Amino acid sequence: MLEIKNLTTKVGDFCLDSINLSVDAGKCHAVLGPSGSGKSTLLNAILGVLPITAGCVWLDGEDMSRRPIEQRNLGYVPQHLGLFPHLSVRDNLLYSVRARKRPRIDWQPLFEKLVEVTGIGDLLERRISTLSGGERQRVALVRALMGKSRLVLLDEPFTALNESLRQELWWLVKELQRERELTVLLITHDLTEAYFLAENITVLINGRQEQNGETVNVYHSPATLAVAGFLGIKNLFSATVVHRSENHIVVDCTVLNHRMRLSGNAPVGAKIRVGILPENVALRDALHPPRQGEILLTGRVQLIQMKASVDIRFENLDRPLVVHISASQRLVKRFMLMDEQVGVTIGLPETALFWIPDY
Amino acid sequence: MSLKRASITAALTVLTLYALLIVSLGWFLDGTILRDTLFSERTLFAAQLSLTAATVATGLAILLAVPAAYGLSRYDFRGKAAAETVLEFPIIVSPAALGAIILIFFNNPLGEWVQNHIMQFVFTFAGIVLAQFVTVLGLSVRMLKAAFDEVPVELETVARTLGATPRHVFFTVTLPQAKNGMIAALILTWAKALGEFGATMMVAGTMAMRTETIPIAIFMRLSSADIEGTVAMILILVFIGLAALYTARRVLERKTYA
Repeated sequence: MLEIKNLTTKVGDFCLDSINLSVDAGKCHAVLGPSGSGKSTLLNAILGVLPITAGCVWLDGEDMSRRPIEQRNLGYVPQHLGLFPHLSVRDNLLYSVRARKRPRIDWQPLFEKLVEVTGIGDLLERRISTLSGGERQRVALVRALMGKSRLVLLDEPFTALNESLRQELWWLVKELQRERELTVLLITHDLTEAYFLAENITVLINGRQEQNGETVNVYHSPATLAVAGFLGIKNLFSATVVHRSENHIVVDCTVLNHRMRLSGNAPVGAKIRVGILPENVALRDALHPPRQGEILLTGRVQLIQMKASVDIRFENLDRPLVVHISASQRLVKRFMLMDEQVGVTIGLPETALFWIPDY
Repeated sequence: MSLKRASITAALTVLTLYALLIVSLGWFLDGTILRDTLFSERTLFAAQLSLTAATVATGLAILLAVPAAYGLSRYDFRGKAAAETVLEFPIIVSPAALGAIILIFFNNPLGEWVQNHIMQFVFTFAGIVLAQFVTVLGLSVRMLKAAFDEVPVELETVARTLGATPRHVFFTVTLPQAKNGMIAALILTWAKALGEFGATMMVAGTMAMRTETIPIAIFMRLSSADIEGTVAMILILVFIGLAALYTARRVLERKTYA
């Protein structure tokens, strides 16, 4: 469907370097990255606003790289929505059919269907300035879909909304995507949004494609320290590869005071970081005894942030370190009964550990 | 004195200065002379000539300024910085010098050819229009560019993704969005052309009932010590100028789409 091959483009001193990604028909792909990572530059290159210095953009088997914007047939919802304030909602929605001079019979059924699904039937004669934030989002979405676009590009369109409204619109996008078999490229810096909407993600950092893959895989196995940092993974411990076999390495992690076997390949002596997601860390006590294959650590609770995390300081290791634990419902209840500075034991399941090159 | 008080005092001083100058005209204001002057054939000719020339010059300036301003607002191209700098040219060069430049041009072989084969400019109505056109063009481009700068590029990009060609986008999105700024630019350009004196005098001369625009009439009447007549002509110009400024302000303050 959408295929980007070695796409390179420059804006001033900023360079988006050799981006490769593909989005299958009917799927949603998120491009994630912090501010200034090149997300919008990539989007502008796909749209045709920015010239591509190398590589190409293919859509449905056609090279779109040199086509004018209006001939790419892309649906686009920018961050500020780009609704035309001098037109009514109806005129906004019908802008594309008028620009392309499509006959009424061609667009009327789609128009009626989309208006019904998104519930904007009562807004059609209103001016854009009289709409609420959520109503504007719906209008912008429908307008983008009225062009019968092959690909819809969403450039952080939900950023300015409150949490409940955002989630409501995520569901709407999901619904529209399923119903209309839409292919969506979502630009966002919001991990939750990407996890909710996208099957696959690409992480961009400083103009470089750091990782590409299924959303779950990227989160559970960040490929680089930069990706792990962007994903907010704090539980990373320095380690050294001491042995390698065909598909496994044995690493020595002095910080955890443990030697472990991990899948993958790296040269002996290589410096790596061993990581674990906060939600994979388990609290161990008499009621919840350690399981086989867990690395056990004891330490003192340093900080309890209800509904967020618990930081634990381990003073019995060679240097103090903080383990970040996501507070699942069960953990929160248990930690609520504890005071800070109480001694705890936690278990890190070896199977949940991942590693990132640090070389 | 606090900064707030000092700055407000300065602003009111500016207002007082101009108000005093205008009010001081009243010293020489004579109702009978004012009426006779306002409705004299010569005054009506000057007013008609001024209004016609300013309207034609503004129309021509806008025709060139709209695409030029859009180009400067939207595209990067070689020579853009120089083009933007030259917009200031009519502001830093005095109108008299600008008029002299035009006059000198018509005395070189190319200018003479233009005069002989295309149109006579020196001491003619066309000369008045040309002088006003050259004087207001830079200002017109600057104001129109500011109007286009106000229109988010994002709207144009969205319109193009919806299948509109750049020309269609310009007429259906950019122009309606820039409308208020453009109307204000048009009014101010016209008012500036109406009050133009230095370049007009150099190119078209000061010939009564021939090239006598209102500013030229003010100069000619003052030269002949006709103070009351001068005051009457000034009042016409001040009235039109203030009306234009007021209208432009109202247009700019108007919300485009409520």
